[in-house]
Amino acid sequence: MDLSSIDLRAIGAWFHGLLISSGMSQTGIHVIEALVGALLLLIFGLTLVIFLIWLERKLAGRIQDRLGPNRVGPYGLLQTVADALKLLTKEDVTPLDADRVPYNLAPGLAVFHVIMALAVIPFSNRVIGADINVGVLYLMAVGAIGSMAALMAGWASNNKYALIGGFRVVAQLLSYEIPLVLAMIIPVMVSGTMRMNGLAVAQGSIFGFGWFVWTLPLAFLIFFVASLAEGERAPFDLLEAESEIVAGYNIEYSGMKFAWFFLAFFMNSWVLAAIGTTIFFGGWQGPFVDQLPALGVIYFLGKTMILFFVQAWVRATFPRLRIDQMMSFCWKFLVPMALVLFAAVAIILKLNLPQPLEAITLLVANVAILLTGVTLLGRTQRKALYAPKRAFTPTIPRL
Amino acid sequence: MMIDYLPLLILFVVAAVFAAIAIIMPSLIGPKNPNKMKQEPIESGMIPFTDARQRFPVQYYMVAVLFILFDIEVVFMYPWAVLLNKLKVFGLIEMGFFLLILLIGYVYVWRKGAFEWD
Amino acid sequence: MTDPVAQLREQFPDAILSTSDTSAVPSITVKPETLVDVGFFLRDAPGLTYDLLSDLTAVDQLELASPLEPGARFYGVYHLRSVSRDGTLLQLRVPLPGGDTPTAPSLTGVWPTANWHEREAYDLLGVHYEGHPDLRRILMPDDWQGHPLRKDYPHGGEHIPFSPTWEDEEFKFLGQQIMKAEQRPEAVPGRMDSKHMVVNMGPQHPATHGVLRLIVELDGERIVSVEPDIGYLHSGFEKQAESVRYKDFVYYTDRMDYVSAMQNNLAYVLTVEKLLGIEAPPRAQAIRVIMAELQRIASHLVWLGTHALDVGGTGLALLMYAFREREDILDLFEMVCGARLTTSYMRIGGVSADLPPAFVPRLRDFLAILPQRFDEYGRMLTDNPIWRHRLEGVGYLSKEDAIAMGVTGPLLRASGVNYDLRKAQPYCNYDQYDFEIPVYDEGDSYARYFVRLNEMRQSARIVQQAIDTLPDGDFWLNDPKVVPPKRELLDQSMEALIHHFKLYTEGLKPPVGEVYYGIEASKGEMGFYIVSDGSAHPYRCRVRTPSFSNLSAVEMMSKGHLFSDLVTVIGTIDIVLGDIDR
Repeated sequence: MDLSSIDLRAIGAWFHGLLISSGMSQTGIHVIEALVGALLLLIFGLTLVIFLIWLERKLAGRIQDRLGPNRVGPYGLLQTVADALKLLTKEDVTPLDADRVPYNLAPGLAVFHVIMALAVIPFSNRVIGADINVGVLYLMAVGAIGSMAALMAGWASNNKYALIGGFRVVAQLLSYEIPLVLAMIIPVMVSGTMRMNGLAVAQGSIFGFGWFVWTLPLAFLIFFVASLAEGERAPFDLLEAESEIVAGYNIEYSGMKFAWFFLAFFMNSWVLAAIGTTIFFGGWQGPFVDQLPALGVIYFLGKTMILFFVQAWVRATFPRLRIDQMMSFCWKFLVPMALVLFAAVAIILKLNLPQPLEAITLLVANVAILLTGVTLLGRTQRKALYAPKRAFTPTIPRL
Repeated sequence: MMIDYLPLLILFVVAAVFAAIAIIMPSLIGPKNPNKMKQEPIESGMIPFTDARQRFPVQYYMVAVLFILFDIEVVFMYPWAVLLNKLKVFGLIEMGFFLLILLIGYVYVWRKGAFEWD
Repeated sequence: MTDPVAQLREQFPDAILSTSDTSAVPSITVKPETLVDVGFFLRDAPGLTYDLLSDLTAVDQLELASPLEPGARFYGVYHLRSVSRDGTLLQLRVPLPGGDTPTAPSLTGVWPTANWHEREAYDLLGVHYEGHPDLRRILMPDDWQGHPLRKDYPHGGEHIPFSPTWEDEEFKFLGQQIMKAEQRPEAVPGRMDSKHMVVNMGPQHPATHGVLRLIVELDGERIVSVEPDIGYLHSGFEKQAESVRYKDFVYYTDRMDYVSAMQNNLAYVLTVEKLLGIEAPPRAQAIRVIMAELQRIASHLVWLGTHALDVGGTGLALLMYAFREREDILDLFEMVCGARLTTSYMRIGGVSADLPPAFVPRLRDFLAILPQRFDEYGRMLTDNPIWRHRLEGVGYLSKEDAIAMGVTGPLLRASGVNYDLRKAQPYCNYDQYDFEIPVYDEGDSYARYFVRLNEMRQSARIVQQAIDTLPDGDFWLNDPKVVPPKRELLDQSMEALIHHFKLYTEGLKPPVGEVYYGIEASKGEMGFYIVSDGSAHPYRCRVRTPSFSNLSAVEMMSKGHLFSDLVTVIGTIDIVLGDIDR
């Protein structure tokens, strides 16, 4: 089967023909095609999450010297299904003094925003929900709904842990939006397009040498760190730190409402990995993708899974940051570095150098800025580390 | 051009319907035995001392303000970034001034200690 | 001049009522009104410097045939240690005036650690400490009637019979009591500002390691004050001890610091041996050292894993790695005594069974891989920048504060005090082994991390030496008055049969007297104070647990830090609620 036939705009000829033969108007055909595409995306997203949760648990298990889920279904693959069914049968408890409208709206919004984000992800050259010309901006806009859902949940629950979690959401998701967006602007500058598919196309297909991650490694690093924070992944999981604020903003949710937050969390992680793949790892590009377009989907999903794996790996390795550290890391390290990188890349691009030279200059600039930034950071941090912090002067009565 | 956005509109409707189902479904399926103890907010097994909605510290508000400032500036950069190849050196200089103004604000905010957590 | 009695006589001529010298520990009885002055003097006088208040309690002499302090129903007893002079112990006794409502001057001004200990004595024995800033119940619920450790407090008194049947009336309402929702929220503790957010952290919270409850006053994320509320796991072991025989109380000690059962066994067993004036044979001592040090490693591994979990989140892989090695240690325990957690392996006069033949080779294999595993933890954490940022400077405790708060164990050694009872007051022939005491000066959580990590290495060294020099011989004392004779002997010797019968029907009866003995357990000084009236049951058995004093420093360590740091501080104290609440 030619997978390009599920392109939403030029849907496979058989389906298109089918609709035309039914004598429908042009707009009607578009609507029906888009509807089918949207439902396909939705089903894909939900199935994907079932797999992702299993994958994350299995990975965490293996990294931690455990087996992970292995009872339900082959290799425990149906564990998530069993969990979802169990959550379905659980009672839906709403706290007495909860603000009911935002409380109930929040899980829906959380799910809504990740499904919307799937729309502009190019799975393959022509397998994309909507190849709009402001794809990157659209992702930012949709992403903001997610932080709103978390804040609504935290505020509406009338729970102090949820409230602290909600505040942390504001502080973290808003702060890290800046470096994320600044890191995403750099490939946009180089490729001259905001279309997600355009970004993938711009990275050439000569076996990965055109990927932006080679020429713009620093931009990718900033993007990846910020995406960990935006995805509420460790080490930036302090907004749902189970050892501090128990579960953060979703503490009061039970049963399926909790499951929707859980689903949104995993799909969000995956969407961020998918954006990273599209912008920095050539998206669906890979060998023989021109001859066999269906390969593109496989390349894309494979690369995304690798990024997702790195996210899970980081989670097993790094302790959680504290809120002040999280804030200063963003505003005092990532943002200035991203701004400097932005300026440097803009100037290099305006020099109009011939191609291989331009790529090398970009790489050198990236590495130089990274090294400078890390050195400066190291120097200030060493000062902070070796001076013992005494937050208060203890007083003990002496004779 | 606008036909590009039709799938988005349809997806919006589909996602909204799905979200609505997601919100309504849990209250239809599953048992319902509410009691006062169960509906207390969870605070590690104790009845909370006070209502949760109280004064909250200004730091979070500062972050939100900073976000609005920076995010809008960065969004303005996007159209410029797309058109960079077509712009002359003047465009670059203009962005330089734009960044300079941003930088002044940034340094001011840093000096004021808005990035510290106290 | 370091003779406390002579110095005290010189300074306070009329304060001393009597002196005695039980089990080589000088004991001084002073008049209650002079207690605070004597306390200040003992703490600060050059040459004495009894700066650590190890333990503080009181004894109800109502049923004691020959009272230790005649003329008063209660006496208060204080055990002081001199940290700077090798942990030398001094016992201070005060007959408490007031008859059935005894009063005593509060020592909170001298040793802040007295705060919690006096609250406990008030709670369990009803001693009113005058001048105490906050005399409330600490272990029992606020609305509890009476003081349980008094001798005239009724035993039992449960409404539900011990073996109920389903037809019993009580079952109709059982389980419905949790539905009673008419509870009103408590008032915010008086010293807390209601403008701030006052949050309950615990008793059911993932980071409080059990059922600790902290009432936290937060200004945003900044901690203004912390009020620990303990007692949710109070099991009344001290009361229980008064109705079980000496050998039977070993099993209760397992449940105190339940990740470090061997150490608890050892502390109790050594105290009773001290009371009896006996000493276990060398092989038993060496086996005890092996078990105690393995237990120390196991306990520190639990600490390492859970601390990493608290600081790092559930994903952090270290927990399972630390528990992998702990499993090996528990397997070794299972080999010697069949139990993994509640071992009850130590016996008065020895250990319950000899080492099985396969034990030593397996232990050698384990010790061979252990250093690499410690290196592995170090690689994962020591230079991890986030780990350092989360720990360095957090939970700072100065040397003076640590001593004043009665903090012992790794916490004290991380504050720059070179004090370890294994070196200072060696027991079980610890002086034969070559090992070092890791001491760090920084006094923060990162220093405590290093102290514990290095202690594990040193413990492995001790175990290695102990199995290399394991003496042959009996693993139980050959004293039929204390230790039941071997099974084979019962078939041959009438005398052995009689001893066996007497031991199991009457139990062993130590001479009349009292003794306090403390060992260096995994978390600090674990001590027992036993008063014997010559019967087969302890008259009073007081447990000094390290975590109780250590936890009392939590507010001092976390004030001014961020909310996330509170979790680090709880983890770095290494609390076990069974150890605190007993």
